[in-house]
Amino acid sequence: MTTTVTRTRRRARWAAPLLAVGLIAAACGGDDAGNGNGDDENGSSTPTVGGETQDLSGTLLGAGATFPTPLFLEWLGAYQEIEPEVDINYQSVGSGGGIEQFLSETVDFGSTERYLTDEEVEEAEEIRGCASIHIPVVFGSVTVAYNLPQIEGEELVLDAETTAAIFARDITNWNDPAIAALNPDLDLPDVDMIPVHRSDGSGTTYIFTRYLSDEVESWDDEYGFGSEINWAAGTVGGAGNEGVTAGVQQNPGGIGYVSFAYAVENDIPVASQINADGNAVAPTVETVAAAPAAIVDELPEDLRFDILNVGADAFPIVGTNWVLAWECGYDENTEELLKAFWTWAVTEGAPIAEDLVYAPLTGPVIDLALEQIDKINSQN
Amino acid sequence: MTVVDTPTSERDPVNPFKSTERGGKVDPIFRWVLRSSGVLVLAILALMVLRTTWAAWPVFASEGLDFFTGTLWSVGPSRSEVTGTYGAWPFIYGTLVSSALAIIIALPLAICTALYLTQLAPPRIARPGSYLVEMLASVPSIIFGLWGLLWFLPNVLRPVMNFLEDTLGQSFPPFSILFEGPVFGVSYFAAGVVLAIMILPIITAICREVFMLAPEGEKQAAYGLGATRWEVIRKVVLARSVPGVVGGTMLGLGRALGETVAVAMLIGASQRVGTSLLFPGDSMAAVIFNTFADGAPEAIWALFAIGVTLFFITMIVNILARLLVWRIGRITGDATV
Amino acid sequence: MPASHEDVFVIDDLSVRYSGRDALRNVSMVIPAGGITALIGPSGCGKSTLLRCLNRMNDLIRGCAVEGSLFYHGEDLYASDVDPVEVRRRIGMVFQRPNPFKDTIYSNVSFGPRLNGMKKGPELDEVVEKSLRRAVLWDEVKDQLTKNAFALSGGQQQRLCIARALATDPDVVLMDEPCSALDPIATMRIEDLMRELSTRYTIIVVTHNMQQAARVSDRTAFFSVSGGADDGGDPAGELVEFDETVTIFSNANDSRTEAYVTGRFG
Repeated sequence: MTTTVTRTRRRARWAAPLLAVGLIAAACGGDDAGNGNGDDENGSSTPTVGGETQDLSGTLLGAGATFPTPLFLEWLGAYQEIEPEVDINYQSVGSGGGIEQFLSETVDFGSTERYLTDEEVEEAEEIRGCASIHIPVVFGSVTVAYNLPQIEGEELVLDAETTAAIFARDITNWNDPAIAALNPDLDLPDVDMIPVHRSDGSGTTYIFTRYLSDEVESWDDEYGFGSEINWAAGTVGGAGNEGVTAGVQQNPGGIGYVSFAYAVENDIPVASQINADGNAVAPTVETVAAAPAAIVDELPEDLRFDILNVGADAFPIVGTNWVLAWECGYDENTEELLKAFWTWAVTEGAPIAEDLVYAPLTGPVIDLALEQIDKINSQN
Repeated sequence: MTVVDTPTSERDPVNPFKSTERGGKVDPIFRWVLRSSGVLVLAILALMVLRTTWAAWPVFASEGLDFFTGTLWSVGPSRSEVTGTYGAWPFIYGTLVSSALAIIIALPLAICTALYLTQLAPPRIARPGSYLVEMLASVPSIIFGLWGLLWFLPNVLRPVMNFLEDTLGQSFPPFSILFEGPVFGVSYFAAGVVLAIMILPIITAICREVFMLAPEGEKQAAYGLGATRWEVIRKVVLARSVPGVVGGTMLGLGRALGETVAVAMLIGASQRVGTSLLFPGDSMAAVIFNTFADGAPEAIWALFAIGVTLFFITMIVNILARLLVWRIGRITGDATV
Repeated sequence: MPASHEDVFVIDDLSVRYSGRDALRNVSMVIPAGGITALIGPSGCGKSTLLRCLNRMNDLIRGCAVEGSLFYHGEDLYASDVDPVEVRRRIGMVFQRPNPFKDTIYSNVSFGPRLNGMKKGPELDEVVEKSLRRAVLWDEVKDQLTKNAFALSGGQQQRLCIARALATDPDVVLMDEPCSALDPIATMRIEDLMRELSTRYTIIVVTHNMQQAARVSDRTAFFSVSGGADDGGDPAGELVEFDETVTIFSNANDSRTEAYVTGRFG
């Protein structure tokens, strides 16, 4: 099922839950008609942005993660103003679905928060006879939201050990010494904790549990990581960021993890997290962007990486959203469209990402991404 | 002998009973259309079961009976083999518990509502009341889920659950176990109550139909013998309606077992068997709904296996219901059931 | 009228209205104890309405209003403190169509006594047997008391309904066209039964069958519809004449009665 809707930039944010988003470029061509060309409302003259001349046309089809959907919507909306003849359709079906559709070649690109496993990489190679490409396009962080009116307006600090212990139900009360030790200035009340996790398989869960597994051995042994895991007894699930937020806000003492963008948009208090250097870092666009920047020298060539163990002023729970593409098998026009759109997105699309509290690629990471984009169809 | 000339030209002048176009050709076509529709429905059903079972087979083969009794559900990432552990008991348990709770709450309410609408209410209340009940039945389940999660749960259910925990939860077994705290909000109980509200209209509508069919003659006879209104309802209306009420209940139970979205939003998505009704759990339909989009192929097989299990549980429930209705019919000597 | 020292029903100026529309107007009559009283007349004459006033079955019909007075053994049945349920417990009723409960024969007959609080046991067995004997059904069903009543023939079912009414030990049995759904042989058996019961009970029967009234009843009340459009009012039933059956059928006072019983009207 594909619902194709047309949205202008402003409205796109509210269209996020739609299963699929797309653009019919021609339908909105008149938006730019402000140059005195009054009797030609549908803008048969080529609109120009930034002095470039546009000549691309065609359709791209993508599917995958739900996490970047609001951003993709805005990107598509903005890009449509530049390239009115380009029609990009994105189906927000989840990372697993994105990988599945990518591997079954029903889409031009996939989108995912977890990189392909070795098994999947090999399978991809067999399917198309050439390698698959991971293009990081944006970073997002997962933050721990909580509901404890007694400490409203104050900073709560957590570290990986404590966060793991809370979600493992080893810590069950807010006045636990472990939390108190991290927050000597807070007067923590005697309130039961109710941990809330995602009930649906999700990249958010993947990023969160990947972090806990890396930092806390006992967590790795007992629960591991993945887009869904077997949670401890005495924790509650909620569907989507909305469900987790509802679970947190309805339970005094509730604590759950949500995408940072969602927490900001809904004004939910989130905890600062202690990183590898022992610094308590509050999540902001800058501290999230600092995380991948901190490990840019260690990245593997295929850009399948986790952002772990970051220090300095980087927020430690950060994940990557990749676009998946192939090194061969596209026709020329599709290749051109893919390269043009994603190049635009990771460079000029950055301010839009920041507006929505996603961390865009920065500095050397952009260059790495552009190298990956360049590989599209290179083996044809 | 004169042959009467009829204007109907197709009629054979010698043999007026010879088969005509109308009866001879159209009837078989009609019969064929009906028969193939029937066969088609069965074929679709069979294909569905076969295909689902086939997709689920690797998981059934790898887990064996542990699939139904195991309590650990830990999905693997593989595309070609079963690497995770798949014990679906927490989901089976959650489905059964939430549905049973829904029936326990909805059935008495539905019977009372239907009795009121058919036996007591004046027509100016009974008619709009019945429409209202039928309208409720058509409210999409996502609405029940949203309303349940965002309004009903915090404003009504939570105080009720707190009360239950404070009273029954502090008493003695089995209540002290069933209503053990802490209160999480989303739980078997929350899912069960909202399910009850969802299936209430179906059961009420069927009970209403059944009660309306209660034999007027027998009601008159009972009144004539000096029965009170309540005695007439109990000894005639209810006594004659058992098979119909059982049928309606099973229809409601069927919906409760398969209900997805609302349960997914309210049951709490905990893959553990919670002994207390106030604890979060998960149901078969909800786990399929929640994790399907993001699952690796082996996880999808496991979800298919849950689907097959749900299908068979629903079928068993229906067969039991048939048997029950049939037995009741025999006891009361009703040859028509 | 047969010798009787007691009047069972004394009806005085009784009118019945259904949702404001007159059904029966200004009926006054005295029904003595014992024997069979037949209520006859054309459709819509209010004979069934009157019968259903006698045990307050009319209370079950929404919008039914009764005016005037009705005394049963000197008690005002429509007094405000009278419970219609208690009235129906004392006064038996048999309906147009046989309406046994879809239950065993035994349960059917014991229904009334059990409502009155009698527990299962030899006493109840005795009541059931006595009632079935009085309804002349005992010999036919004594070996199949646990059989479903629906398995009986129409005539047997109606006699079962009579037995069921007798089981509460009433002194009056109201019958609303009890034979209209039965074949002639079954009808004959019910008529015989009515004659037999009339020695012990006061029977009031509504019938559209004049021959039946002539055959079985001791007294006959003839009702007619009056007050049609030409009178400027709603048509409603009224009592025309009430007398010994013999008188009604051979020497009626009112010409309308005579016209009806001789088949020239209705």
